[in-house]
Amino acid sequence: MAGRDRAAPRRGTIGAETFAFLWRASPVQWIAPHWRPRVAVALVTLAALVFPVLHRNDADIDSAANALAYAALALGLNIVVGFAGLLDLGYAAFFAIGAYTYGAFASFQIEPSWSPFWQPFEALGLVAHIGDVVHFTVSFWLMLPVSALVAALFGVLFGAPTLRLKGDYLAIVTLGFGEIVPIVARNTPSVTNGAMGLNGVAAPQLFGWSFGVDATPYYYVGVALVAVLIFASGRLKSSRIGRAWMAIREDEIAAAAMGVNRVKFKLLAFAIGAAFAGATGTYFVAKLQTATPEMFMFPVSVMILVMIVFGGIGSIWGVVVGALILQMLQSWFLQDLSQWLHALGRLLDVQWLQQIELVQSIEMIFGLILVTMMLYRRQGLIPATRNVRALTMAEQTAQVELAAPPPVERLRGDFTYCGPDPLLAINDLTVRFGGLVALRAVALTVPARSVVAVIGPNGSGKSTLFNAVTGLVTPESGSVQFAGYPIERLPPHVVLGRGMARTFQNIRLFPNLTVLENVMIGMHARLHAGVPGALLHLPRTRREEAEAREHCREILALFGNRLTPRADHVVSSLSYANRRRVEIARALASSPKLLLLDEPTAGMNPAETLELAGQIKSLHGHGLSIVLIEHKLDVVVSLADNVVVLDHGEKIAEGPPDVVRRNEEVIRAYLGRSASLGNAPQESAPRGSAAIA
Amino acid sequence: MTTEALYLQQIINGLSLGAMYALLALGFTLVYGILELINFAHFNVFMVASFIGMWALELLGLSGQGVILTGFALVGALAFGFVVTMVLAGLLGVAVERIALRPMRAVRGTAAMITTIGVSYILFNAVLLTVGADSKNYPNPMPDMHWDIGGATLRLREVLIWGVALVLMAGLHLFVNRTRLGKAMRATAQDAEAARMMGIDVDRVIITAFFLGSALAGAAALIFGLYYNYTSFIIGYSAGLRAFTAAVLGGIGSVTGAMVGGILIGLIEALGGQIVSVRWDDVIIFSILVLVLVFAPSGLFGRPSATRS
Amino acid sequence: MLSRRTLIVQLPALALAGSYAVRAFGADKSVTVGINLPLTGADAQAATKIKQGAQLAFDEANAAGGVAGYKVNLLVLDDGTATAGQYDPAQAATNARKMVSDSSVVAAIGPQMSGSGKAMSPILSQGNLAIITPASTNPDITNPKMAAQYRPAGKAVYFRTVTTDAYQGPNMANYYADTLKVKSVYVLDDSGAFGVGIADSFQTQAEKRGIKVLGRDQLNPKEADYTTILTKIKPMNADAIYYGGVAQAGVKLAKQSYDILPKLIKGGGDGMHSTDLLSGAGFPAAEGWYVTIAAPHVLDKPEVAAWAKRFQDKFGGPPEDYSITAYDAGLVIIDAIKRVAAAGKEVNRNNVRDAIQASKVNTLQGEVSFDENGDITNRVVSVFQIRKDDKYPLNDTIHQYKYVGVAPASS
Repeated sequence: MAGRDRAAPRRGTIGAETFAFLWRASPVQWIAPHWRPRVAVALVTLAALVFPVLHRNDADIDSAANALAYAALALGLNIVVGFAGLLDLGYAAFFAIGAYTYGAFASFQIEPSWSPFWQPFEALGLVAHIGDVVHFTVSFWLMLPVSALVAALFGVLFGAPTLRLKGDYLAIVTLGFGEIVPIVARNTPSVTNGAMGLNGVAAPQLFGWSFGVDATPYYYVGVALVAVLIFASGRLKSSRIGRAWMAIREDEIAAAAMGVNRVKFKLLAFAIGAAFAGATGTYFVAKLQTATPEMFMFPVSVMILVMIVFGGIGSIWGVVVGALILQMLQSWFLQDLSQWLHALGRLLDVQWLQQIELVQSIEMIFGLILVTMMLYRRQGLIPATRNVRALTMAEQTAQVELAAPPPVERLRGDFTYCGPDPLLAINDLTVRFGGLVALRAVALTVPARSVVAVIGPNGSGKSTLFNAVTGLVTPESGSVQFAGYPIERLPPHVVLGRGMARTFQNIRLFPNLTVLENVMIGMHARLHAGVPGALLHLPRTRREEAEAREHCREILALFGNRLTPRADHVVSSLSYANRRRVEIARALASSPKLLLLDEPTAGMNPAETLELAGQIKSLHGHGLSIVLIEHKLDVVVSLADNVVVLDHGEKIAEGPPDVVRRNEEVIRAYLGRSASLGNAPQESAPRGSAAIA
Repeated sequence: MTTEALYLQQIINGLSLGAMYALLALGFTLVYGILELINFAHFNVFMVASFIGMWALELLGLSGQGVILTGFALVGALAFGFVVTMVLAGLLGVAVERIALRPMRAVRGTAAMITTIGVSYILFNAVLLTVGADSKNYPNPMPDMHWDIGGATLRLREVLIWGVALVLMAGLHLFVNRTRLGKAMRATAQDAEAARMMGIDVDRVIITAFFLGSALAGAAALIFGLYYNYTSFIIGYSAGLRAFTAAVLGGIGSVTGAMVGGILIGLIEALGGQIVSVRWDDVIIFSILVLVLVFAPSGLFGRPSATRS
Repeated sequence: MLSRRTLIVQLPALALAGSYAVRAFGADKSVTVGINLPLTGADAQAATKIKQGAQLAFDEANAAGGVAGYKVNLLVLDDGTATAGQYDPAQAATNARKMVSDSSVVAAIGPQMSGSGKAMSPILSQGNLAIITPASTNPDITNPKMAAQYRPAGKAVYFRTVTTDAYQGPNMANYYADTLKVKSVYVLDDSGAFGVGIADSFQTQAEKRGIKVLGRDQLNPKEADYTTILTKIKPMNADAIYYGGVAQAGVKLAKQSYDILPKLIKGGGDGMHSTDLLSGAGFPAAEGWYVTIAAPHVLDKPEVAAWAKRFQDKFGGPPEDYSITAYDAGLVIIDAIKRVAAAGKEVNRNNVRDAIQASKVNTLQGEVSFDENGDITNRVVSVFQIRKDDKYPLNDTIHQYKYVGVAPASS
């Protein structure tokens, strides 16, 4: 979110100099920069651990323990909303599911009658029998992961119908589930005791010692829970999975085209987000030893959302801090402040001071915080995107070095296709949008290791052709054979996996991610790390990540010193031409056999065009097959082996560039009456740049 | 009371509810059509408007159900109530847009929507902290007129709801389709960028959308008060949520969809409560919503853009 | 970082230091009584009336020179949170710990909601701090079968100046059968713990007494439209409806049932004994409702009328039923402190708890004493009918509710 408003003026920087001074004077300067995050984490951990020892107020510890539960919830919602960009307005539902799962298996609520069926369970300590009834006594520690799992299942269940919906529709459906779950809880008293609230939920036990009602042990469990979830969030965020989520968040279509299985990763986000809430629900109920449906209503979902917005959407430490501050503000600080004012009032004998109840205005305060944050500090307390050192003048004005040969040599094997010819065969392809026929019975063949250019006037169906071939649009009829297999019904991420990557006419990068992250998402389909690998940093995963990073840097190096120095820059800060290059690099990172380039030089000046054409040529020289949509005829002529001309969705000509440029019909369709081919391209260039500016 | 009469009565109930939801849903849909923004502030603009309407009627010396008017006095009092409520509610909507939403306009994503949640909280608590939490006995000067239709009872207040809703919806329809500003609104909803290039003052269109949407919420609020003789600071959430559901069901952004969705939700609520149980109302409504969206992701009358991102 | 942390740690300490300072400079000796009510959110209205009732008791005692030489300070805590939008059991638990960890707190009043009570009771039990609830009626908390859960330390700490759902609902069912001669009834609740509990216990007893229960449904208190359910009831030709719940849904139910089911007998529990009902539903909609309160009828006694006037003068609004039980809870605590002091014992929470347990206090609702579980021993349930009386303000619960008799206990 932060990057989007980067142009907006920074308000509220009063005192910036003071902070700068304090910063320079602070002991932080003694610590080496790369150690600072670790020292900070160590200090925070230490503070969290000693807090109950130093501050022996049971109520404040309890308040902190509750706040930790909300921090855990915020971390979970952050996965769904912050990482994957799926707006969930009913997140409290999963909190409720986790809470009641533990509540049902560790209380007097469900008491089936005793039968031998239960004997093995009794032996495992999961149930006890008192007289004729079975009493569930499943351990808290066992229920933590079980509840997480149950909630994750519901996450998938609730996520599934929303997959095809975009943000706002998604919001209302999740809101609906958020409403439904407490109603079901209220109306199924046999499991939940309904509105009366659960009775007799067991306190956790550790080696036979019961936690009882003292707040401190719960506090430490809360600290551990939040620590684990912070750790898991961090690991996930920096993994292949986190990159896929952020790709979906930034641009769903581009993510799919880069090989991200949207269905799988959206459901995974729902499931993991729900799992966090499920575990937290168990913790919360074990601590409270009761639960009522009112604890999980819409305001809870909204409040968790407010917490992550306040802390910084997508920022792991941000959402934790946001949750802790807002929760403790209402349960601790404001109450104490009110008491303090009352004491002052009594001391001074001022009546109105004794009457102030700040807590009653808490919702008002929250509303004001929310609006103020949104207007003046949208990125939250601790923004998710970090600032990167700007390039020095020397780096910015450095001589352009064109791709050095070695990396290309090393990449040769990735790009070379050695299967049956042709690589791509399109037959009789028809695409229809309602009444409009966008493509009519188009045929096209791309032999291995060739460059085919597709030209035609605007609206002639060139981009639709790409969309249909890559699975973004389902053709009405016709066949698309890639490397000998039909692919016309495959979803985009599978098409990419088969070895066909593309760029978009109007650049679809992931604007708030860095250059390197963008390119690494291109590698998504070539990597294999799953959730366990990401969480545990298994050796295999670590090796894979390191290799991927190396590979991506090699890809960046194809563009000389254009991208390499900017690898850690957010792409939205790049120049237009560099963004085009990043998009091509991202496509190349997937090791395609066939690259579809949609107007790659649009908006570039002649020198940049020449440079890019050279780079494309060198890629082709190293085995890559290319289909190119291009308006600049000199580029087409210099690169293409074969040219296909589309007009009104139909192929009107095909042949070597020289032949096609003399074709009368092409000249008429493409250029109007009397113009000559040489002047044509300029028309399209400003359009491309206008769309981006 | 026969079964037929019972169901007829429930349909009358459902249509009255539906008319209210439809008016409220139009506010969501007008704003969404132009800004692609779910406006949660709308929930509590509706709630505040019900208080505005109450004070307007009390200004005329009407309180509780003690004063009954007939004839021109009744028409005049109601006209006064509607005009005042709609204008002030509309201005409230415009103020929300100006203060909290205009600075967010260039911001992509959910930021603006989250801002509206904040605004909603502020409105809610402003009312709670000033007028208090107790339920208010809403003035209602309408005489107790009713007619028997096949065993079911049709009361004057139902006729009023339907009449006002029909007039306002017809008016909106004419406005959107016949006037210059209405056409500008439709153009902006289609493609704001293109509309701006064609010389349409998009700011004005947005303000108009907020004004109209909030004014319709004002009308719905006054109808609500007159129908139930009741208001309170909590009414925004439940009514707003159902109206929002109605807008989505109909296809958010579509004016026809909001009207049809509102009526449908009203009927589902009444008949669902009759056939199943009132306690499962929300579950039924949201289940239907989910099913509709699964099979028609852009709602019943929506543009097919819902699945695009 | 470090200094800020220290400040945070110090803040409550400063607050405490502040109150010690008060003790030093104010009255010679002081004790604190905790109050925990959902003063924020959906329940704020009723909670405020309860708080005012309790506050009146202590303000009067302080004004009369304190309680046995002690000035009573109030520690008012709010268990309504913005997070929950209403009462929040998690916050109630935190508040219980606040009371327990403040050693000047000798007793407490609250909570309003049973859900909060369930979260508070184990903590209070461990701290041996007595709390008197003027409003929460769910029987689980004082149920001896659940003692291990709700009073792990053994002694009763959760006292009530109201009877539980175990009496109010069933007694009203008896009244329906015996006095009102109801043959069939439709039962509604407002989906809250209080409403569901009282409606459940009414329904069970009504069935036992041979009243035909035609159906049971649940109203969403946040929703405005109840015409659907009322229309559904209409052709059933029920004699009566019974509503368990508080005034929030009750106001709308009264209004809409007046339109749709004008002839039915309508009754409810003490949630309907409320100014909110009188002013929100108004007459004629509220006219004729039968409403119980879980206490003997005292409201037209002269001292109660005088008390109501004092309440009105102080807070600018009329008291409600639970204002009375809260005031009575205050009187019980005041009396307990007095007896502890008179016995020459230290005024601490252990002694005050024991004194509360042994209470025989004359209050607005008559003599209050508790059984070993903390429940009030006097389980009289009085029935009132709303009848408009133009001589008094129309939202005056004392005069618009007419006493019609006692709802008989089940034998």
